[in-house]
Amino acid sequence: MAHFETEYQRLEASYGDSPPGEENLLMHVPEGTKSHWHHIENLDLFFQRISFWSCFSFKNLCAVHDNTDKNGFTCMLLGEIFELVQLLFVVGFTVFLANCVDYDVLFANKFVNHTDSSKVTLPDAILPMDVCSAHIRDNAFVIFVLIISGVFWLHRLIKFLYNVCCYWEIRSFYIKGLKMTMSELPYVTWQEVQARIIEIQKEHQICIHKKELTELDIYHRILRFKNYMVAMVNKSLLPVRFRLPVLGDSVFYTRGLKYNFELIFFWGPGSLFENEWSLKPEYKRGGNRLELADRLASRILWIGIANLLLCPVILVWQILYAFFSYTEVIKREPGSLGARCWSLYGRCYLRHFNELDHELMSRLSKGYKASSKYMNCFLSPLLTVVAKNVAFFAGSLLAVLIALTIYDEDVLAVEHVLSSITLLGVGITICRSFIPDKHMVFCPEQLLRVILAHIHYMPDHWQGNAHRYETRDQFSQLFQYKAVFILEELLSPVVTPIILIFCLRRKSLEIIDFFRNFTVEVVGVGDTCSFAQMDIRQHGHPAWMSEGKTEASIYQQAEDGKTELSLMHFAITNPHWQPPRETTHFISQLKERVHREAASASSDTHPLSFSESEPRSLVANILAGPSTLASVHFACDSSLTNNAATGLTSGETALRSLSPISSSLHLRDSLSAAHRASGFTSRTMTGSGTDARTVSSGSSAWEGQLTSLVLSEYASTEMSIHALYMHEIHKQQSRGDVSRHTWHRQESDESSDSIPDEVRSEPNAHSRNFPRSHTFPTTLTSPSASPASASATSGTTVGQDGAKAQSSTQRRHSGPAADHFGASGKVVRTARMPMGGWAEGGKASSRHHEPLQEETSEDELPPHIHKVT
Amino acid sequence: MNCRSEVLEVTVEARQVEEAILALLHTILLHRSTGKFHYKKEGTYSIGTVGTQDIDCDFIDFTFVRVSSEELDRVIRKAVSEFKDALSSDGMGQISLEFYQKKKSRWPFSDECIPWEVWSIKVNVVNLANEQERQICREKVGEKLGEKVINVVEVINRHEYLPKMPTQSEVDNVFDTSFKDVQPYLYKITYQITDSLGTSVSTTMRRLIKDTLAL
Repeated sequence: MAHFETEYQRLEASYGDSPPGEENLLMHVPEGTKSHWHHIENLDLFFQRISFWSCFSFKNLCAVHDNTDKNGFTCMLLGEIFELVQLLFVVGFTVFLANCVDYDVLFANKFVNHTDSSKVTLPDAILPMDVCSAHIRDNAFVIFVLIISGVFWLHRLIKFLYNVCCYWEIRSFYIKGLKMTMSELPYVTWQEVQARIIEIQKEHQICIHKKELTELDIYHRILRFKNYMVAMVNKSLLPVRFRLPVLGDSVFYTRGLKYNFELIFFWGPGSLFENEWSLKPEYKRGGNRLELADRLASRILWIGIANLLLCPVILVWQILYAFFSYTEVIKREPGSLGARCWSLYGRCYLRHFNELDHELMSRLSKGYKASSKYMNCFLSPLLTVVAKNVAFFAGSLLAVLIALTIYDEDVLAVEHVLSSITLLGVGITICRSFIPDKHMVFCPEQLLRVILAHIHYMPDHWQGNAHRYETRDQFSQLFQYKAVFILEELLSPVVTPIILIFCLRRKSLEIIDFFRNFTVEVVGVGDTCSFAQMDIRQHGHPAWMSEGKTEASIYQQAEDGKTELSLMHFAITNPHWQPPRETTHFISQLKERVHREAASASSDTHPLSFSESEPRSLVANILAGPSTLASVHFACDSSLTNNAATGLTSGETALRSLSPISSSLHLRDSLSAAHRASGFTSRTMTGSGTDARTVSSGSSAWEGQLTSLVLSEYASTEMSIHALYMHEIHKQQSRGDVSRHTWHRQESDESSDSIPDEVRSEPNAHSRNFPRSHTFPTTLTSPSASPASASATSGTTVGQDGAKAQSSTQRRHSGPAADHFGASGKVVRTARMPMGGWAEGGKASSRHHEPLQEETSEDELPPHIHKVT
Repeated sequence: MNCRSEVLEVTVEARQVEEAILALLHTILLHRSTGKFHYKKEGTYSIGTVGTQDIDCDFIDFTFVRVSSEELDRVIRKAVSEFKDALSSDGMGQISLEFYQKKKSRWPFSDECIPWEVWSIKVNVVNLANEQERQICREKVGEKLGEKVINVVEVINRHEYLPKMPTQSEVDNVFDTSFKDVQPYLYKITYQITDSLGTSVSTTMRRLIKDTLAL
């Protein structure tokens, strides 16, 4: 190797020293890393924890309000410690009761011969130590249970310790990084935390890919996998619905099943995801989808078998878990088993894209009351009659027994009197739950509307059919009995392997296609579900107000207006978020329409004043509806008598204050107005109405807290109105259309439910040898399908134009020259046109080439493309 | 994930492997090294000087610039020759240069290394039949390397995240201070011969544990 000496020679004498005499000329000041909160490795996890803790403190808020300044975190940690102790106690005590008590002595079947007295004492009934331990040692089952519960307990303990560590880390981030004071800590809301994170990114650059984080980035990171799950449920990809011989249509989705799905898709050995943020590259390419599907199928099979083998262990675990978690609850309020809860499936079905747990839960909890009322409407009259009579007879027996006991308490000493009194009491309680409230008004349609205002999603055919039992049954799939929930959980270890092996395995090709078609790479975030981008153009549904804006094929459209509603929800909950241009247009247009209708609805109630094109008097309907909006608004304190008036006024002021771009300042202003107008004068809020306007960022934590609480309340009301409005419009729009309702499209072969009839009757659907998965609509080749394909191709060109226009933000993954180095949020799309989807077999669009090109270019030997991403 | 990753691809003959990789690694390191820091009393520091050196390649028509530090060169050379030995005469491999920061943790845990930039160089080794082809290859590879170097410079010129300049106590968390004459950012060189990537067992286990622990 030839060395050429250049002028850059080292001065031998001053090894690394600055030149003599210049020591003071060039001085640098280290910026230092005062906090170590710059550059965090796993932002997904970090944001998840932050949101969890902030939400936790938010949840505790109500308790904190009227109590002391107790730190929510401390409470929770203390609670966990006690739970651990409780668990230990329950196991120990159960084993003790089973093995160490001489029940013969206790039941007086065996006499103890004491010398001094005839009284039986408790120690007499307890077996001596050695007998006891021998008992335990002999019983293999007890040992098995003990081992499992020991493992369980250890797991809880480690989890607890781990949580404490995480908590400390996050807490110090709150205090040092987000600059919150200790006293503020219990009161911060998620919105505030998020705003501060965005603030801190500018300074510390915790995410190194871009200068600024947006709200959407944070949500994407937190909800990356959940968004996928929501999308898969939305597209009916997951096998959670079954038609059983006796039970009919039913949903089976338990935590165990969910865990397995996640294991298979997201993080298990050989899963589709390489790590927490990126899909494996081979899954992004369409080339060997069949092979990948085979591989996935065999993996599912193995995991299913593993589940089957572990079944007994999981079963015992599950029983123990249920026992320990629910006994306490049942003891405290026995009625809770008869109560209902939102099922796991319901939570998935009703969840918006990019909706955090606490947002979802608060929304669903608000709808809880109306939902259970609705379900109560359907108590069968026959059952009521029977229950009334049973209650009558049981009641009289009980009364007699109690009367006798009062007269002479020796009655209690008679065998089984005490137990029969107890049993009768329980029986009466059960019967009473079947007897409806005498004063309840049966108006399911209204109730369903109120429910809709909170849950935001509902299949089309429910509207107008609220009184039917089918609707009720379907709703009960979302809103099930707690007892059923627990039962399903217990059954889960047995059923899960069956579902995995026999149902999920068949869908492997669809799953592979789904992940390929609906994954986008967002710089600074990684691979996310493209539905979660909430892009109307990509995934809008023409029947949900995105007519003309959407270019999605049926395969790409999100069902039930998920994209549109999610978008509205996200825009309303995050007023600072700046969506892309088209999206902004959509949002402002919709808001304006709602606003206009509200204004005209309030100015005069003549339905004729609406223009013909507009669905008439929608908002007027909503606003004037006697129980809908008012109960949407202040469900807690509104009585049916006067809320028609308050509902109207508050609703309309709320609506009037909507501006296209609602800055929070504006919101606050309108907020105070809204509150005054609605006469919302509860104790806590009186001050806030006037203060809200003057609240600045430097105000006390309490004030800020209050405003943000009120703001979030306001946002949820606004969202409710929008959701109702969108459903109403949708109803009017689709009245003439071919009904394309999507209440759980049946799986596989019947999935063409969502396809217009003319396409379904396609004759040569299966003539192609291109293997396609079942949920894919059949090929578009004949003239009958040409409109759709034409729109698809035109969509292609428009899409490319659009892409050009948006080239600053988006670029194709397969782009030959990877020279966009702009730091601002760019979206790298993997193959745009879904392969195996609608346009697959049909027109060989120009787009279709691109993934192939990419492949060939990659397989070529001299890699002339220098890929710098 | 929270790190930039850049991929460079080169197709070279077996004898060119070492020089090509050295050229790229040294180019990157040239821009990711500073002079030694000398901390003064008031929390300030001055930076020592760094010399540069032009290196001519034997098997490629190419000249590159590197930091004139023999120590650094020795370390890099060692890593590269290991990679070269592992690479078969006609195969593919990937060598990556990863810059990271250390995060000190308390006693039972080892220090966390958080990468912030990863450069991966994919190497394709080809066999050539005759001398003429070799001659062409020699020139072509030289041109290609020139392009890559410009690319590297472009990437580095972008105004993107770099660790902040540390205080004296933290200098070891950011810079590699083991060299006498130069102070590059902390780096690691790893290589991989076949590209049979996959979720390794360790990451799965880690995830499994984390997941069970998570709330």
